[in-house]
Amino acid sequence: MTLLRQLLHNKKAVIGLTILVLIVLIAIFAPLLTEYSPVRRVGRPHQPPSWEHWLGTTRLGHDVFSRLVHGARVSLAVGIGAGLLITVIGTVLGIIAGYKGGVIDEVINFFTNMVLVIPNLPLLLVLAAFIGQASPLVIAVILGFTSWAWGVRVTRSETLSIRQRDYVKSAEMLGEPSWRIMTSEIFPNLISIVGINFIGSIIFAVIAEATLEFLGLGDPNTVSWGIMLYNAQNASALSVGAWWDLLSPCLALALLGLGLALVNFAIDEIANPRLRTGGMLARWVGLVSAGEGKL
Amino acid sequence: MTNPVLSVRNLNIDYIGAETDFHAVKNVSFDIAPGELFGLAGRSGCGKSTIAFAVSRLHRPPALIRKGSQILVDGRDVLTLDDAELRKFRWREVAMVFQSAMNSLNPVLTIEDQFHDVLRTHTGMSRAAARERAAELLKLVDISPDRLSAYPHQCSGGMRQRIVIAICLALNPKLLIMDEPTTALDVVVQREILQRIDVLRRQLGFSVLFITHDLSLMVQVSDRIGIMLEGELVEVNDSRTIYRAPQHAYTRKLWASMPRLHGVQITGEVAP
Amino acid sequence: MAFLLRRLAFYLAAFLAAATINFFLPRLMPGDPIEIMFASAGSELSLENLNALKLTFGFIDAPLHEQYFSYLKSVFTGDLGRSIKYFPLPVTDLLGRALIWTLGLVGIATLISFTLGTFLGVMAAWRRGTLFDSVASLLAIFSSSVPAVVVSLIVLFVFGYTLRWFPNGYAADPMLDPAFSWTYISSVIYHGALPMLTLVTVLTGGFAVTMRNNMINLLGEDYIVMGRAKGLSDSNVMLWYAARNALLPTVSSLAIAIGTILSGSLIIEVVFNYPGLGNTLYQAILARDYPVIQGQLLIMTGAMLVSNFVVDLSYVLLDPRLKKA
Repeated sequence: MTLLRQLLHNKKAVIGLTILVLIVLIAIFAPLLTEYSPVRRVGRPHQPPSWEHWLGTTRLGHDVFSRLVHGARVSLAVGIGAGLLITVIGTVLGIIAGYKGGVIDEVINFFTNMVLVIPNLPLLLVLAAFIGQASPLVIAVILGFTSWAWGVRVTRSETLSIRQRDYVKSAEMLGEPSWRIMTSEIFPNLISIVGINFIGSIIFAVIAEATLEFLGLGDPNTVSWGIMLYNAQNASALSVGAWWDLLSPCLALALLGLGLALVNFAIDEIANPRLRTGGMLARWVGLVSAGEGKL
Repeated sequence: MTNPVLSVRNLNIDYIGAETDFHAVKNVSFDIAPGELFGLAGRSGCGKSTIAFAVSRLHRPPALIRKGSQILVDGRDVLTLDDAELRKFRWREVAMVFQSAMNSLNPVLTIEDQFHDVLRTHTGMSRAAARERAAELLKLVDISPDRLSAYPHQCSGGMRQRIVIAICLALNPKLLIMDEPTTALDVVVQREILQRIDVLRRQLGFSVLFITHDLSLMVQVSDRIGIMLEGELVEVNDSRTIYRAPQHAYTRKLWASMPRLHGVQITGEVAP
Repeated sequence: MAFLLRRLAFYLAAFLAAATINFFLPRLMPGDPIEIMFASAGSELSLENLNALKLTFGFIDAPLHEQYFSYLKSVFTGDLGRSIKYFPLPVTDLLGRALIWTLGLVGIATLISFTLGTFLGVMAAWRRGTLFDSVASLLAIFSSSVPAVVVSLIVLFVFGYTLRWFPNGYAADPMLDPAFSWTYISSVIYHGALPMLTLVTVLTGGFAVTMRNNMINLLGEDYIVMGRAKGLSDSNVMLWYAARNALLPTVSSLAIAIGTILSGSLIIEVVFNYPGLGNTLYQAILARDYPVIQGQLLIMTGAMLVSNFVVDLSYVLLDPRLKKA
């Protein structure tokens, strides 16, 4: 709760959260926002934005605005779903490796480092290519199982330092079982790291989904921002001048990425007070220029 | 006291917050005479390090030295210096030994580099001349000159702290500030370093501002001692009085919270 | 030296892992792995050629572990099979040709963005809380959060289609023959400008943020304060005390970032129709040319491992604590 209160005092977080809430609301109320179906031909091909079609139409005569608001659902779902999976795997492995140490740590650490040096996108491409046309669900699952390594690394190193603290030592003395120490002594102190990992993973998953679909590895019948990019690129939208077809999903993805990144930066600033540049510096500058004091 | 080396007058320092400020140093005044070893004691967070940083004006925002404060070194107010004067003043007049022995040398530069940069900046000394001077200074603290090409991580904690002291003496400063210089070191090394400082100050004539939370250590080395409580200087007296007949209730409380040692003076003469 | 040897052994293990994934993936899919791997070949391949390909990928009439060693043998002798789409072009030739363009693009873009990002991060941290810091931080957040595919499409739209300042595809004028002449080189620069601009835009922010955070975390260290107390000039303390030390964690984060950089360049090449690995791979994906798709994983992993090793080497040079251990 204090984290939420601190977030609401941070300018970056407020802007980021506003963007995110807006996108989530649009995704939830998508059917109410538009009269057109996202998968039906509702106009002539490649119509520029107009009163009838706010963001124009695609080559197949689909309404771009309708596809955009419905597509938000898929992008968010894949992002949150894969983000959750990545975070859970990363946090669990990271805490176990950092707390248990010894052979368990070495094994987990070895695999983590190995996954970190195998380039992610090429691996995803190979996986997706063998799967064929991957549905959003499949994409979320393979993202979850290939992208947890960074989370393990960060969580593990933080766990290593928490393990040395007095309250963990005293819990050990009292003979608490190790799963209890990991869940109730260590995990609560990792909240901000886990939060940063979660949001970072959502950003990564949203980008990766859009990229895989753009490269033709997604299911072309899905209504998602990545498939919109794929279709627009296939329809040579830019060279025939139908910029709205391509730029709409582009800007939507950029906005979602920006919103998430702003929140992530804010959490980082709250978790690491040294990074903060909040109101105190403004007050300090004010006092110095008023001649109230100096360094 | 005639012509003190350091004279702090009505020093007020705040840490500026988003809404309210933390008043870290409250109207503190004291003097240090030439050649004197003055101790500043108190619990951590009482403002003693904040004072030490202010003397060389090392604070960063959001720390703020309030107007009306004065820090006179050899009669000149440090708070009126501009950037160029300040750079000249630092290390030449006031040098400083920092808290963590392990961490006050730059890990990516050799020991020689860290003598050379200060000598070049202040005296324009050439590399060869600086090397010679550095070797001379290392001898003062009993370290062989072939350590010059080493990196800090190749030296022990006690050796690093002696190297820092040698760097401090490079420009013959009037005042040496030691901010908890021995916290990270074991008792034997700690004792050895304090004896060394005592010998050097008698030999070279500089004054010392010695800061620690360890009152029993402090009475063994200091001429006079100031006791700080939550930003205020509550008692200033000579070591003997602080030890035998503390005037302020808080000083007595500090003693009560400490395992009492026999007050043997640590001086250079007692060295084995 | 022991440190570097340990790293090398680890890289070998990682490469083996990538090859193992390649080996098992078709075998784990439902259906006949041979059918899956060479489906797109149709009837164009003669039986003899098909058998040669099967051998390369370990589809031999033997137990699984012998199949595995047969595949590893081809991989470690540099035989990644032949492209089905461009039969009989070997995968290594096809990808090797493309790799040159990708390495050029990625190498130069990394150099530029690392230098630029590090510099911006140092300045922002040193002048924390100032207008410069706020603006630089905001730009960095923007640059590091917007997907490469989005940035490249927008750059293509603005500079390629609307302003028409730069070409929309190819690495050089297709009418020119590759030669070491100014005409050819200038054409390469002209055609590479937009992909380069995009890649630098995407990468700089991340480096700037990393460097800024590392610097800020270091500024409270005793040796930095001691540098200031010694009366050294601001730029001296900033570069030799703060930045030099903050560079160490930044360089090690570069090792992890290389994967992201390569991925970014793959996408950018597709959008700009640039003849590097990304584009070749894209064509292979469209044609389901599995030997090429698998081959790129190995080549990209190889590229990643080599660049990681370069990072390790520079780390040893930068950090005296690692030189003699």
